[in-house]
Amino acid sequence: MIEVDQLVKRFGAVTAVDGLSFTVRPGHVTGFLGPNGAGKTTTMRVILGLDAPTSGHATVNSQSYPELIRPLHQVGALLDASALHPGRTATAHLASIAQSNGIGRGRVAEMLRLTGLEAVANRRLKGFSLGMKQRLGIAVALLGDPPVLMFDEPVNGLDTEGIAWIRQFMRALAADGRTVLVSSHLMSEMAQTADRLIVIGRGRLIADTTTAQLIESSTRKDVLVRSPQTAELADLIKARGATVNREEDGGALAVTGLDAPAIGDLAAEHGIALHALIPRSASLEEAYLDLTGESTDFRAATP
Amino acid sequence: MTAPVPLAIRARDLLTSEWTKLRSVRSTYWTLLVAVVTPIGISALVAVALSNAPGKQPTVDPLLPGLISQEYAVLAVGVLGVLTFSTEYGTGLIRTTFAAAPRRRAVLAAKAAVIGALTLVAGEVVAFASFALVQAVLSGKHLGVSLSRPGVPGAVLAGGLLLFVVATMGVGLGSIVRHTAGGIATLVGLIFLPAILGVLPAPWGARVARFTLLDAARQVTALHPATDLFAPALSLLVLLAWPALTLLAAALLITRRDA
Repeated sequence: MIEVDQLVKRFGAVTAVDGLSFTVRPGHVTGFLGPNGAGKTTTMRVILGLDAPTSGHATVNSQSYPELIRPLHQVGALLDASALHPGRTATAHLASIAQSNGIGRGRVAEMLRLTGLEAVANRRLKGFSLGMKQRLGIAVALLGDPPVLMFDEPVNGLDTEGIAWIRQFMRALAADGRTVLVSSHLMSEMAQTADRLIVIGRGRLIADTTTAQLIESSTRKDVLVRSPQTAELADLIKARGATVNREEDGGALAVTGLDAPAIGDLAAEHGIALHALIPRSASLEEAYLDLTGESTDFRAATP
Repeated sequence: MTAPVPLAIRARDLLTSEWTKLRSVRSTYWTLLVAVVTPIGISALVAVALSNAPGKQPTVDPLLPGLISQEYAVLAVGVLGVLTFSTEYGTGLIRTTFAAAPRRRAVLAAKAAVIGALTLVAGEVVAFASFALVQAVLSGKHLGVSLSRPGVPGAVLAGGLLLFVVATMGVGLGSIVRHTAGGIATLVGLIFLPAILGVLPAPWGARVARFTLLDAARQVTALHPATDLFAPALSLLVLLAWPALTLLAAALLITRRDA
């Protein structure tokens, strides 16, 4: 379990995390979602005791991280897969980290096998592709068989096969009863991986909910209706308790609360001609943009 | 949940981890090779030059060539010391290190201990090898001194401290500066710039020089110590104070800054 309570982190004049509170529970993959610069990495660093919070605090299994003895047995983290010494071999890299927490050679070999790096175990890391480095980073995170795991943008730069592997891996870890927190700036990615979502923007909590709920509540589902007798039809639809909005072009109706077949039947019943009847649903990515739209730091102009 | 782990075991964990890191990169072997081979070679050259010099008495202390040669190895081990932290900060690996060992001062101590032990052994090997080589050449001219002469073993042993002193200072500076080039530049500055002040007019030159790292090192290893500097015992304290103060500053800063 990870608990973040009223966390604030300022770097000079910049407030990276601004009063953030949330709890990550075991047994689920929890997505940590937000645009670039929202404060995801900073929050993770504070959880790991790497950055000191300006105020508030973060605990792992009810303990402050710096108090943990042999912390790799409690928390495994992958922050930056490229953070390694290029001249060291994969085995030496893993072994040096394992030894600092009293973890034996056997576990190192086991992790290399698990992440499919056995064949390159004694190769220097400078020759590793990003995908191999990500696997190595996951091997590091799993060394101590910890109940809590954190991955910062683990799919960045991976090919489809690698993404599928990581996704499956994280689900298996959560199914094991572990706490899994995965950050991403891609809603579509999280929708396929995470059961729960913590959405932040500009260091503040925007949503803390299940993925299904978020999709349900923020995805626009309506039916576009065109008819020569718009006003008449609108009244009939409203009488059924649905909501009708005029589209911007003025001629069409956007109906929520009544599905397309029902609208069609209603029109037929009253002899109203229909020129268009189109069920619409916004993509999850659009919903996410709606949600975080006001909290993006840097926005590119549209030409 | 977690069984308490004795302090000695935790210390062993960190020491083996740092030892693995040190011996798994090539730069360690290169810098050590340079640090050991260069001074021994230079000692031999200096000894040959001295023995061919005209006159019956050499103009320098018979133990000095062994130390002067080590001054050339100082940079190599200094770089080795700085790199232990600066490469980790440069690559971001330091975050993995501190996430695995949140007691940062213990990490600093472990790195300093491992580098210190390695360079202490290397320094003593160089000191005694240089001594043997220099005296073998000088004794041919009946100018050498024997290891059995009082004061000589201690002076040679003390001379072997120089690499240890500079390397551990490098570890501290690497952690403070967090940057390889900056760390090395600072180290070079701290070692050599104060020595320049030694040319100030008397008595100011010696008053400053007695606190400098290199003069302290020469004083502890000289058979005939200079009279205007500190006594050898006090000079030994000055010599060890340099890395001690650097590591103290590093220990104060390491917990205060974000990794």
